[in-house]
Amino acid sequence: MATINGCNLPEDLYYNIEKHTWAKPMEGNTVRIGMTTVAAKLSGGNLTGVTVSKRKIGKELKQGKSVAMVESSKFVGPVPAPVQGTLVRGNDKVAEDPSIAVSDPYGDGWIAEMEATDWETDKASLVTGAEGLETYKAKLEEEGISCD
Amino acid sequence: MDEDKILIVMTSGPETPRRCSTPFFMAHIAAAMDYDVTMFFTIDGILLLKKGLADDLYSKEGGKPVGEYLQDAMDAGVQFKACTAATELHDLTPEDLIDGVEMVGGATLWQIADECNTKLSF
Repeated sequence: MATINGCNLPEDLYYNIEKHTWAKPMEGNTVRIGMTTVAAKLSGGNLTGVTVSKRKIGKELKQGKSVAMVESSKFVGPVPAPVQGTLVRGNDKVAEDPSIAVSDPYGDGWIAEMEATDWETDKASLVTGAEGLETYKAKLEEEGISCD
Repeated sequence: MDEDKILIVMTSGPETPRRCSTPFFMAHIAAAMDYDVTMFFTIDGILLLKKGLADDLYSKEGGKPVGEYLQDAMDAGVQFKACTAATELHDLTPEDLIDGVEMVGGATLWQIADECNTKLSF
């Protein structure tokens, strides 16, 4: 677990640093999606809803299309698809209790899973590893974001 | 009819400021969820499109001005259509309205309504 500007950001995840979301390749072509501790900070920490688009489950989505909406009293934003692929399911636990997406964002607080069409190609648009976190750090510093 | 299309008919205006932010907020969320959203402004709703008016209108004292909710919706890709007859009702010209608004006649409302699976009115 790396800590950048006070934000926990595991090195093994793939990040969309514009939307503060993460992706993790699972078994087969499954890719798990969630929000980072940065998103949790920006949301104010008190989520009122994490809503996965039911109408999109089972449908093929292009990279960047919204798979879920995260809402708090001071923030509303989409969780974009990190890859092209089929939206398989949302996390029922998070739907019932959105606060898990903040308290355990990389564990039980994951938001959705997709079946990636071509993970190897699409992962190039995400950042990962020590080098990726350096890029993420530059972004956080540019925007004056800190989780402390 | 397209399940991804939403029409919001906005009739409320500056006389009822509390009714003026939420429609833009809901439109913004729908657009962020990849719905194709059109807001149709008629009756007093048209006044919200008058240059500068919404910037000084608040649903809640000390809150965000309606103009910011409006701009958020527009930035998210919500399409703004203004009813020509409503501009006449309030003696407005198209030049009085903010940029990014399309002037349309009443028949267009029915065409859009026909295409949209979901229709709301505020």
